[in-house]
Amino acid sequence: MLQIENLHVRTDGRDILQGVSLTVERGEVHAVMGPNGSGKSTLANVIAGRPGYEVTEGAVRFDGIDLLALEPEERAHHGVFLAFQYPVEIPGVSNMEFLKAALDSRNAAAGEEELSAIDFMRRARGAADRLDLNPEFLKRGVNEGFSGGEKKRNEILQMLLLEPTLAVLDETDSGLDIDALRIVAAGVNAYASPDNAVVLVTHYQRLLDHIVPDYVHVLVDGRIARTGDKALALELESNGYGWLADPAS
Amino acid sequence: MTPAETFAERTHAQRVDYAPWLDREASRRALAEHGLPEPRCEAWRYSNPNRWYQAEPRPSPSAGASPRAVGARLVDFATADDDARTLVRDHLHTAADRAKHPLATVNDIAMRLGLLVHVPVSDTPAEVELGELGGGIERVLVVVDPNASATLVERPATPTHRVVECVLGEGAQLDHVRLQPPAESVEYHLVAARLGAASRYRLAQYSQGASLRRNDLHVRVAGRGGEAEVRCGYRLAAGTHLDTQVGVEHEATDGVSRQTARGVVGDRARAVLNGRIHVAPGAQRSDAALTTKSLLLAATAQLNAKPELTIYADDVRCAHGATVGELDADALFYLRSRGVVEEAARELLIGGFLAEAVADVAGDDARALLGIGR
Repeated sequence: MLQIENLHVRTDGRDILQGVSLTVERGEVHAVMGPNGSGKSTLANVIAGRPGYEVTEGAVRFDGIDLLALEPEERAHHGVFLAFQYPVEIPGVSNMEFLKAALDSRNAAAGEEELSAIDFMRRARGAADRLDLNPEFLKRGVNEGFSGGEKKRNEILQMLLLEPTLAVLDETDSGLDIDALRIVAAGVNAYASPDNAVVLVTHYQRLLDHIVPDYVHVLVDGRIARTGDKALALELESNGYGWLADPAS
Repeated sequence: MTPAETFAERTHAQRVDYAPWLDREASRRALAEHGLPEPRCEAWRYSNPNRWYQAEPRPSPSAGASPRAVGARLVDFATADDDARTLVRDHLHTAADRAKHPLATVNDIAMRLGLLVHVPVSDTPAEVELGELGGGIERVLVVVDPNASATLVERPATPTHRVVECVLGEGAQLDHVRLQPPAESVEYHLVAARLGAASRYRLAQYSQGASLRRNDLHVRVAGRGGEAEVRCGYRLAAGTHLDTQVGVEHEATDGVSRQTARGVVGDRARAVLNGRIHVAPGAQRSDAALTTKSLLLAATAQLNAKPELTIYADDVRCAHGATVGELDADALFYLRSRGVVEEAARELLIGGFLAEAVADVAGDDARALLGIGR
């Protein structure tokens, strides 16, 4: 479904990704790990189409389509979703208004009918419930005054409503206490299915105790230094990232 | 002769049949003494008044709803009885100083329609709606009796020249909403309010732009402990113009005032926003604040914003702040990443920004006018 080939990306005058290749198929859960500054978030942002990243070499295909040629909203319409590391606050726009606009756009792009206000509310409330969020939260400004944990849960709520085929979760575990982490993980696990794929971008192994990946990739200095299964994450947990950077290891 | 002088002379010479009992002499004298603003004067720097002098004031096509009131009396100056005439004589120009607002003197002399809105004390607040008045040069005098309260919603279609004076008695309350739809006209509006002791006046003005639209909003906190709020929300489409001059004068002790403005300026549009706080000597314990936030949507959008504070008392609290920015790129990307197409994402962000300027009274009308939630 997702094919990343020899991807080179530059931002702020620095080469961040230096030849990343990665294939993700439906039904798979991938974890992309790595030390700070290794390019994990850059990879997530380039997939979603955030401005400010220059692809200098390589390709990203999604079901055969050149993803890099698409606007961010078109990528979303094709089923790409990024859970932000730092969700943006938008005062004056209610969470409900925002979620309805997102769903309406997706449905319009798919040639489907707009959800009725009642159906929309039912689904939004259901998703909020699954993430242990008070329905009142739907009336508040988007992420406005939300705690770190609420923001991250709001990202997962959007994922549940938009039902993407590829969900990239950028450091969704950061800033979560253990209870919130469990709730978020349960949301992701319930969502993951043979029809979609999840890419978890994370610095720490602890999220992987709750969401078990099929593949673990370790990004070091803009390249995938190693790929393995869950055991690799545990190895990183005890040995750190240093040994991967050492060519002698 | 300059266009201002020519216009002043022409106005001075006018003999108007409308409501001949009105005393127009004081205004004629003031006009002769003070003249009219010239394009080079600071207060009119960004809105050439010559365009207004040269635009022929015309009665507007009276298509809108006529004024209506519940709990208040509406009296056309032309048919005013003795009581109404006395109210007008006692209150006209107690809020709008002829020397400070020379264009108001033109309105006095040349008015084709004047309306007295009288709000007496009642158990429930009065509701007044001023739709189309149809006068071209229009005058409204609102007198809110002590301890009376009202909401006043103005929907001026496109008057060329409207002066609204609001006089609040002690303990009176007035919620005043003005809705200014887009127009191609050249307009001058003056709202002048005078607040009695412990009265509360809340003005909310929602505007789109016109060819030239000038709004002077002038509030005098004249009685002890008066509270004033002036709120402006505007959205200027490509190539339009809006000049808003807000002035709040604290003349008595313990007054409170809040001025807030939120505006969005489009391509080749120009917004002028002056906010002034004046604290007179002796107006101790005044508490005044002024905040403006503006969004410029294009490199060719223009905003001239200026806060002005003149404070002649030593025990006061005055604050001001102004920000100008563009649409937040991170927020735009956030929305687009959720599938909201760029144009709709921009609308959503603009709507969210402006929504913070909308008050409860006539909130739905305000949102519709500003294009929020389209």
